[in-house]
Amino acid sequence: MIQDAWRKVRGRGESPAGEETGDMRPENLVWVFGTARTGSSWLSAIMGEIGGYSRWHEPLVGHLFGNLYYERAGHRSEDEHFILGDRYKELWLSTVRRFVLDSAAARFPEVAGKGGRYLIIKEPQGSIGAPLLMEALPESRIILLVRDPRDVVASNLDAHKKGTWTADLMRKGGKEKPPSLAESRPDAFVKGQARRYVRDVGNAKKAYDAHRGLKVLVKYEDLRADTLGTMKHIYSALEIPMEEAELARSVEKHSWENVPEEEKGEGKFHRKAKPGGWREDLTPEQAEIVEGVAGSLLRELYPVRSTA
Amino acid sequence: MPVFRYPTVSGVTRRVRAALGLGAGVTRGALPEPTSADGRSAGSLAPENMIWIFGTGRTGSTWLAAMMEEPEGHDVWFEPRVGTVFDPQRFQRQGGKHFILASQYKDVWLRSIRNFILDGANARFPELAGEDGGYLAVKEPGGSVGAGLIMEAMPESGMVLLIRDPRDVVASWLDATRKGGWQTRRRGEGGRRAESLAETNPNAFVRRHADAYLQHVGSARRAYEAHEGRKVVVRYEDLRADTLGTMKRMYGELDVPVEEARLAKVVEKHSWENIPEVEKGQGKFYRKATPEAWREDLTRRQVKTVERITAPLLEEFYPTDPTEQEG
Repeated sequence: MIQDAWRKVRGRGESPAGEETGDMRPENLVWVFGTARTGSSWLSAIMGEIGGYSRWHEPLVGHLFGNLYYERAGHRSEDEHFILGDRYKELWLSTVRRFVLDSAAARFPEVAGKGGRYLIIKEPQGSIGAPLLMEALPESRIILLVRDPRDVVASNLDAHKKGTWTADLMRKGGKEKPPSLAESRPDAFVKGQARRYVRDVGNAKKAYDAHRGLKVLVKYEDLRADTLGTMKHIYSALEIPMEEAELARSVEKHSWENVPEEEKGEGKFHRKAKPGGWREDLTPEQAEIVEGVAGSLLRELYPVRSTA
Repeated sequence: MPVFRYPTVSGVTRRVRAALGLGAGVTRGALPEPTSADGRSAGSLAPENMIWIFGTGRTGSTWLAAMMEEPEGHDVWFEPRVGTVFDPQRFQRQGGKHFILASQYKDVWLRSIRNFILDGANARFPELAGEDGGYLAVKEPGGSVGAGLIMEAMPESGMVLLIRDPRDVVASWLDATRKGGWQTRRRGEGGRRAESLAETNPNAFVRRHADAYLQHVGSARRAYEAHEGRKVVVRYEDLRADTLGTMKRMYGELDVPVEEARLAKVVEKHSWENIPEVEKGQGKFYRKATPEAWREDLTRRQVKTVERITAPLLEEFYPTDPTEQEG
């Protein structure tokens, strides 16, 4: 099945309708990979607002398979008995493909079939499994959304302090947030978050580089500087339709300026939205920790800034 | 030749389906819809011929699996870790409808889990395919955290809940993970971290492994309770005391036909006594095989730690002898 999918991608042909259960067409899936605190909620909110698009908010299917494959049992990849063993990779990727398409069709019947609608899948926290998902669904489109790792870590440091929006989120789920390293050992927290960035963005980039289908790299900083222009570039690169006036309205609706002031600031989900804000938020030692851990990705994605 | 309970595979299938039909929609929801990979078509492994072994590491699952692999037409899937993929505890915080394993869409993803398992089994064990095909034991102690979902996706399969006194399990891990222990050596060879908490902070190590026991065996126990198909509890201690008798009881409960004389030979072949002496002892995979050796291996404080953490399971499976209780 995966081989067939590859042939279709190479020939730019479409999958025959009904190829998959539920009639969900893999080419109508647009994956947003990266990591948390890169603006993926903002980006997917803008895209989900446009007519003809639906939004799947963090299914975590990438985490489901990626965590075991890359982390917990990565040493067993050559073991024939291991369920995600490399010898049977094509087989289990086919199952992953069916898993995703069946699940998408069940949740978003309006996207399935010949309607020509698209599904935006916000999956930054499942990015560890991005290479597997894109190998299983080569016809899908991919947005690699990145942000300076120092700003990402600074944002997470703020989010995990006492009494912030992450605690509110857990409380809504009936749980109290346990004490965080962000309070007790902030430097250790920073190191952990930098490693997470490398894991998530590293694997998202691997998927992006290997993907032979339609794809686009988006920087949060560009999205902040020129939201409409960057959004138009995304639709153009992914060859997906939009009506420009409608896009402009959605961009305006979800602009930073339109977020109520009382919902913005330290400890809130909408914090600063300020590229380079890490200079105020991190200690020099913490910035050095991030640059040390994520140096390779930082130099590749932010070559000018990496001279700091 | 004496045999015990020789039902045909199709007979077993009929009975299990009938039993499941009674429970379907009451406690477990509908059986996943058949798909091309549901194992019903000719050339596929019958799901009812799969026997899942859950519990935790160091409970004798390798020994049990080695014996289950021996009969003609039987094979063992050695630690696929499918249960770890679908470990519900990893996603405790994800309760929304968008989550891939959201309860609202359970019928969809249970079918996917079923396909995932059957596709994997059929690819690896094609010789067991067909209605008259053989049996596949799935040794999955390390994937016990996902036992509940697996058994829900595979209600026709049989299940073995393999348990051992948690104090002996922890003592065995402590030995395996110390410097020079088999687990430490294996991790070193695999390029993984070789340093061990067992050396640096044995009490913390004991606490962590007691927690893991509770998580793994607790999950397997709940799956066992919920499973309405064929199932059996096997205690390592019973397996050691009367291996042949326990194996016969296990196969009997699972309705799996095995020739008794052949089984006796298998038991003999894999007996503790037949393991070369050089392969046994401290720091080795085959260590003591002595129930209650924890009395020699753990400190008093460590014993208390394990007993406190695993109390619900310990009380159920290893009730304290009243004469041993402290005043």
